[in-house]
Parts: sequence; C-alpha cells; structure tokens
Amino acid sequence: MTLRTGSMVGESRAPAAHPVPVAAPKAPKARPKGFDGYWPWLFVLPTLFGVLGFYIWPIIQTGYLSFTETGPFGGEEFIGVDNYQTMLADGNVGQALTNTLVYTIIVLAGIPIALLMANLVNQPGLRFASFYRVLFFMPYIAMPTAVALVWRMIYNGDFGILNWMLSLVGIDGPYWTSTPGFAIVSVGIVGMWASLGFGIIILGAALKNISPEYYEAAQLDGATRWKQFTAITVPLVTPSLFFVTIISVINGFQLFDLLYAIMGQYNPALVQSQSLVYIFYNQAFIQNDKGYAAAIGMLILVVIGIVTFFQFRMQKKWVNYV
Amino acid sequence: MSKESFSPAQQGANSVRTHLVLGIIGFIMVFPFLWQLIISLSTNDQVMSVPPTFWPGDLQWGNFVDVFTKLPFFDQFGVSVGITVIRVIGQVVLCSMAGYAFARMRFRGRGIFLGVILSILMVPPQVYLIPQFQIIQNLGLLNTILGIALPGIFSAFGVFLMRQIFLGLPLELEEAARLDGANPFQIFYKIMLPLATPGISALVIITTLWSWNDLLWPLVVTTYAEKMPLSAGLATLAGSITTDYPVMMAASVLAMAPVLILFIALQRRVVDGLAFSGSK
Amino acid sequence: MRRITRLAPLALVAALALTSCSASAASEEPITESSEASISYAVWDENQVPALEANIAAFNEIYPNIEVKIDITPWAQYWTKLQTQASGGTLPDVFWMNGPNFQLYAANDQLEPMTNLIDAGDVDPANYVEVLNELYSYDDVQYGMPKDFDTVALWYNKAILAEAGVATPDDTWTWDDFHTAAKTVSDTLADQGVYGVATGLTGGQEGYYNTILQAGGFVLSDDGTTSGYDDPKTIRGLQFWADLIADGSSPSLQQLSDTPHNAWFTSSKTAFFWSGTWSVSELAAASNTLDLNVAPLPQDEKQATVIHGVANVVSANSPNKSAAQAFQAYLGGEEAQTLQAEMGAANPAFIGAGQAFLDSVDHFDLQVFIDEADNYAYPFPVSKDTAAWSTIENELLPQAFSGARTVEDVAGELATRMNEALAKE
Repeated sequence: MTLRTGSMVGESRAPAAHPVPVAAPKAPKARPKGFDGYWPWLFVLPTLFGVLGFYIWPIIQTGYLSFTETGPFGGEEFIGVDNYQTMLADGNVGQALTNTLVYTIIVLAGIPIALLMANLVNQPGLRFASFYRVLFFMPYIAMPTAVALVWRMIYNGDFGILNWMLSLVGIDGPYWTSTPGFAIVSVGIVGMWASLGFGIIILGAALKNISPEYYEAAQLDGATRWKQFTAITVPLVTPSLFFVTIISVINGFQLFDLLYAIMGQYNPALVQSQSLVYIFYNQAFIQNDKGYAAAIGMLILVVIGIVTFFQFRMQKKWVNYV
Repeated sequence: MSKESFSPAQQGANSVRTHLVLGIIGFIMVFPFLWQLIISLSTNDQVMSVPPTFWPGDLQWGNFVDVFTKLPFFDQFGVSVGITVIRVIGQVVLCSMAGYAFARMRFRGRGIFLGVILSILMVPPQVYLIPQFQIIQNLGLLNTILGIALPGIFSAFGVFLMRQIFLGLPLELEEAARLDGANPFQIFYKIMLPLATPGISALVIITTLWSWNDLLWPLVVTTYAEKMPLSAGLATLAGSITTDYPVMMAASVLAMAPVLILFIALQRRVVDGLAFSGSK
Repeated sequence: MRRITRLAPLALVAALALTSCSASAASEEPITESSEASISYAVWDENQVPALEANIAAFNEIYPNIEVKIDITPWAQYWTKLQTQASGGTLPDVFWMNGPNFQLYAANDQLEPMTNLIDAGDVDPANYVEVLNELYSYDDVQYGMPKDFDTVALWYNKAILAEAGVATPDDTWTWDDFHTAAKTVSDTLADQGVYGVATGLTGGQEGYYNTILQAGGFVLSDDGTTSGYDDPKTIRGLQFWADLIADGSSPSLQQLSDTPHNAWFTSSKTAFFWSGTWSVSELAAASNTLDLNVAPLPQDEKQATVIHGVANVVSANSPNKSAAQAFQAYLGGEEAQTLQAEMGAANPAFIGAGQAFLDSVDHFDLQVFIDEADNYAYPFPVSKDTAAWSTIENELLPQAFSGARTVEDVAGELATRMNEALAKE
C-alpha cells in the first residue's frame, strides 16, 4: 500500500484536485550496487521452470500450430499465414471481437458503481458494514456454473422472474438470452454482477487509507459531498482503480464459460453473440481445426497484450502514485 | 466505532437513504442465491409456473438427498480440498519467493522474465489445454490429485500480486537486517514474509476460490467420478439431468456451501487481505 | 518408466514380464477366464450407469480378474475430453461413440476394427439392425458394436388433447392432420400458455431430418459427397417447421432456447413432442407420465424416421486390447443387451432383445419405435467430418425457422457451404 495515511497528515488541502503525475516506483535504489549473486535465481527458478514448462511451452506450440494445418488428432503441415488470412476474412471473428469488447465494457462500467458503493459502505460509523460486505462479495465466491444456471432461470422469457416483474409494470420483457443484441448485454450484466463485489472490496480498502483530514479540510472550505468524492476520493484511489481495470479487462477478454453456460447450446442468437474464446473452443474442439483455432488463440493473446500495454502507458495520465 | 463517530465525515452515515441504497443493492447481489435456495426446495412444476412460486410451501428436502445418491459427494469433496490445499501452499511458497525477487532483488533479465511470466495471464486456459494434458500424462499423473493441482501451483497472477505487495513494504528493516549480516533468504523469511501476511491471505483466498470452482481442467485429467472435484461432479450431474432444475440447484447450493461458510467465518481477514491486493 | 525397463538387462526384463501384467504383453495373449486387466469405459449418460454396472458385474462372472471402471463425463465436455485424450494417445479402452463422430475417429486410426471378433464368431453382425452396422463401418470394416438404437416418434399428452378437443394421433396421420391438431391446441389453450408442439430444432435428429425424409428429400447424398439442402423436397421438409413456428403452433426458437423442448412437454405446456427412444426413461419419470403416450410420426410423401444408435468402440491404442475387446463383445451380446433393456436404460440394438424394453413402461406403446425401425428407418446422415457441416446447419437454419429469411434462401446458402465443407474431407 502506498497510500499511507501518515504521509498525508498535516497537509491542509487535498493535493489531489490537480494531481501531479508521479511515475510508478522504480526498483529500490538504496541497495549496494551490483547484483545479488545467485540468490535471486534460487527464488525465481522454481516458478520460472514451472511457468516455462506448463504455460510458455504450450503457448509456443500453439504459436507454431497457428501456421499449420492440423490433423484431428495431431500431425501437422506448415502452411504459412493461411490461417491468419482465413481469420481476417471470417466475419464471425470480427463479430466475436465486437461482442467481447461490448462484454468487457459492460464489466468495466461496473467499476464506477463499485467505487460509489464502496464509498457508501466505508463511511465511518456505518452500522452493519460487514454484513453489507458479505452480501456484496457473495457473487464473487459463487461457482460460475451454478451462477449461470440461476441466471438462466431468472432471464427465462416465459417463466423467469425478471419478465414477470416487468409484466407487473406493463412491460413485455424480451427473451433476454436468446435475442441477438440483448444476449451479450444480459451476459455482461451477469459478468458485472459477479465482479462488482471484488471491486467494492478492493476499492473500499483503498478508501480506508485516505486520511479523514482531507475531508475535514474540504468541509471547512464548503465543498459538497459530491465535490469531495470527485476531488479527493477518486484521485486517491486511482492505483486501485488501475489494478481493478487491468484485471477486469483481462478477464473480460477471456469470456467463455459464462457465455456458454448462460446461453446454452440451443440458442438461435448464439452465432451473433459468440466471444473470441468461444470461437477458439468451437474450432479446436468441435470442428477439430486446431491450426485455425491456434491462430485465433494468438489473436486473443495479441489483443489482450496490446490493450494491457496501452493501459500501462496511459496510467501516467490518470493514476496517482503517492 | 464510537470513538470515530466524532468525525465529521460520518454525518449522515446511518441515514435512512444510505441504508436503503445499500439494502437494495445488497438484495440484488444476493437475490440469485436466495432464488437458487428457493428453487432447490421446490418441485419441478413450481419452477415452471407463472406467476413464479415464491415460497414452495411443502419444502422438498429430498432434492438434497438426491444429490448425495447421485454424486460420490464426500469423495469429491475430499479431492476438492486436496487440490485446493496443494495449490494454495504451492502458490504461497513459489509466488512469494518469486514476487520478492522481482520486487527487491537485482539480477540479469529481471524485466524480461517478469514480462514472460505475466504474458501467460493473457492467454485463455482453453488454449493450452491439450499441451498441458500431454505433459501431465507424460508425467504419469492422470487421475491423481497432484496431476490436477500441478499446473495450478504456478501462477503469474500470484507472482504479480506478491511483487506489488513487497514493493509496498518499507525498505528500512531489510537494510538493517542486511547490515546485521543476514543472508537474502533469512531477510525474506524472517523479516519480509511476516510483513506480507495480509497480501498472502489475499493470495490464499483468491487461489482457494479459483481452485474450488475450476472445472474444465479437472474434468479432462480425471476419468473416474470419485477422482473428480466437486465442481466437475456438479457439471456431470447438471449434464445428465436436463430438466430436473431443483436437484441441480440443490447440488450447486451444496457445492458452494463450504466456501461460503469459510468466507463468512473469515470475513474480516478475507476482506482485509483482499483489500491489500488492490494496492497499485 | 517403461523406457528404463527396456534398457534394463534381459534377465530383469524377463522377470518383469513374468510378474507384472505388462500391457503390451497382455494384448498379444488370447483372453482367458483367468486374464487379469483393468480397463476404462467412458460414457456420457449418468442415467444409464446402474444398467452398465449390472453389465459389468455379469461380465465379471465370466472374467473375474478384468476390472472395468466407468468414466462418466457430461455430454457438454465428453468430446472435448476424448479429443484431448486422443491427442495424447490415451483414449479410454472402451468408450461410447456416436454417428457424427465415428468416421472422424475411424478414419484417423483411433479405433480398433472388430474384424477379429467377427471372424472368431464372437460377434455376429446379423444380430443387429443392418443400418447400425453400416453406420459404424468405415471402408467396409466394422469398428463399433451397436449398443442401442433410437428412432423418433410422436409423443403426445392425452389430457391436453382431450381438453382441446383433438383426437389422439395414429399411423394414418398426415402432416396436415398434425399441423391442424397442433394449431387447434395452441388456439384453444392459449390462455394457459399451452402450445401444440415443442421439438428440438438444434440438430436435425428430433425434427427436420425426419421431415426431410418424409418429404422425399435428403441431407447428404448416399456417397457422402453432396449436400441435399438445395433439393426442393428437402426444403419442403424444413418449411414444415418454419410454418409451425410462424402460426404459433410451436413456441418460437427463443422460447425453445430459454426452456428446452423436453421441459415444455414434461410440464404439460405442449401437447406434442417429437422425440426418440432415449426420452422413454425421462418421460416415464415425469410427473405427468400417465397422460403421455407415443404414436408413429405423421407422414408426407412417405413414412420415415432417422435411426441412430450409440456403439461401443475400442481404442486402437488400448494397452489392454484383448480384455477391452472381450468386454466390447460382451456388451453386444444378447445377455448384456437384454439386461440393459430390462433396466430401461436403452432400446437394445440386438434384434429380439427389445421385448424387455417394450415391457419396461406399461402405459407407453413402445412397439411404435420397433415397428419404425423395421419398416421405414433411414440412417442418420454422417460423413468423415460431420461436425464441419453440422455447425453450418446450426448457424444458418435458425434464420429459416424463425422466419428471418425464407427457407429457400437459407437452404441454398447452406447447400453451398456444406458442399464446400464436404469437398475438404
């Protein structure tokens, strides 16, 4: 935690209203020059070997497969960039990329809500605070397959409770999970619901570390509660916001299980609602085209890599490390 | 609490409006679970009725009994616990060591190796399913708890998390110990690790939840029901009964219950621990 | 491990061969009553496990030292898992196979031919429905031991039909009779949310494959090289379903996605349900089971149903091949198949063993399924890479059934793309 209360005590005014961008802390410099000999390797090698053996090597294999045409049970032939050309011409891939983005954006839209809720639940002196926290965190611990089953039943167009409630106010609800357009949004709402608690907890912790003196000073200046929220709270939790954003984007781009479980296999809207990982799965395990699937796997890697890279580059513009 | 109540920021904290908002959102958050519980105690006909049946009246506890007869529940519970313990211990040891080295030690290629480790976060697990399966098979570990758990004791997320945590710890203690002649391992083990306890508890919780809910991988490397974890057993059950919603819901309530109870019991520690992982 | 034993001194190898049940050695030996082995048996249907366990117990009375362990994987993950295992060369010793996937595994040398079993007289293909032997043969070599078979018939709910004033179906019904009946139910009982018919339209087995045949069309040419979707008769078979949905005789595709077709029927929300033999156990256990019964499918140009069945196959790489084959042959035998039928698990493929299946549920006229198989059952369409074009069916046909595009338009595109996929095989 870098947002240590102590470092801010005594400052009369929140400096965060016009934050000065501060670079992320570099490696500690107060250290004898040179290297730490063999010690670091003792610490790092077990993990490095495991990661190389169980993850990097499979990824390299996938990278190679993406340039081949594969037999259904192994055996491959080098075909250059054919799979990538097919991918560029495949309308489903573009659609899936769009859907994946829509889903990710919906999940990201949950972060401001999480911040507002965290702000509410972390007010000093709030009664039942820990009870609320348990409520908010429950979706995060639930088993995704079980969650999907319940949501399927809630969303059910004929017998679901959601449309029944809408019918009470005279709205004829759609078939949420089987209408193109609505489907990916419905899945996104579940994704947001499932991750809201995580954001509330993490952002809530960052809020606890903001010195009350900032707020006291702001109140003396006559700032409204909303002004306090935007001028003090938000800037001071940006490092945590950054962390939540990175994790949400990575998880969002890997959408598969939730989509598969909520939409089911008999869904007329499936083609218009698939995600990138869904296409990968379909090509690799249903259509047995592992070479083409590998190319889509590489696309996912590159897209997430680029987005994450830019997030790290952009963080200087809005993240305040104290 | 009462001491803090002098803080001006607290004004209005317990207003009706605040509790109303929190209560409504809280209800939305838990509603699917309540609904699940209600369905698990209903009959199939009640589930398919319009308007919905909010209270089944005659509670169908038999749905829960059915789960135990249809699944080797206790075997699978044991497997779930086994793989979770191995993954948690493995990640705590390996990720805290690697995270510490990446945060505080200097060695050639540090940035590159960290980048390599982090890159695996960006590949969906379905992509390396088959190669990983072949590795576990070649090691002769199919159908074993170790085989299910092994790839999961290496975690890029864990390394990243622990690195961030060590980066946030003060340098002074470390320097003092170094001047006293402690070697890097002693510094790590005796001084830094205890300071990182909140971060470690965050790692423990995240790993536990992920491991408990992990589905596709255990299903692929195990072949017999009694060697599967609960998550896979539940999927087997859901796949074989396509229309008996109450029994399916009862099964998922039972599968979720252990983690939920653990979570409520450890609520404070969990929240503080997780909170820590949010720091930059 | 195995490599080390190969490098070990000869004497040690000999000693090991004597004491251990070394896999490769065992498969060379003929199977005897004292043979020892442990084999795995992969299946996807939890409901059939009690019957399979009974089969195994009976098998162990002959071969007490062959241990058979059942591996149940849910349908949703079954083929993913088999794929992964096949890529690693560790398929289960014996496993369930279906028509659409069979040629893929057979053509890629994953399955052990049954030639030696047939030559030795352990298995006589004449005992099984001929179409099933053909379904599980590739290049005239049989690989799959037919386990059971499914034909599709018309399930109906007597109570709903009576309430709507519609006669119960019989073997004279034409498409028009059926459509009128379904429409009447939907119109009469609309206030209760009851529809005429619900049928699974993802994959053709329950619905459109049957109507395509009845209209005189085809999905795949006999030589497996050409799509039949641009044939006017095939299009007529698809139009049947689009019409049912269009006038509200059937719930929409969206409704069928939100609530599966079988759930509509078991909760008395539809009067008719096109489904196969596999639904017998589910419908016998449904709460409205006493209202239900089954009749032949309605006819158009002719009477027709697709026939499909699961087969037991042996992995070509099984380390315990002879034990696995002994089990495969046993599962195909009259004793095992009769037991399966008695336990109501499946309709046996062994001709004549089905009586027990007919008797398993008194209030259903299950003879319908057998008569269909004997008189007008046509093979389920499969090719070497069925998944390549069945995915296209599932991608395009919903647009036709929902009325978003005309059936002709969709069927034309489907034929073109299916022919492209077939050309790649």
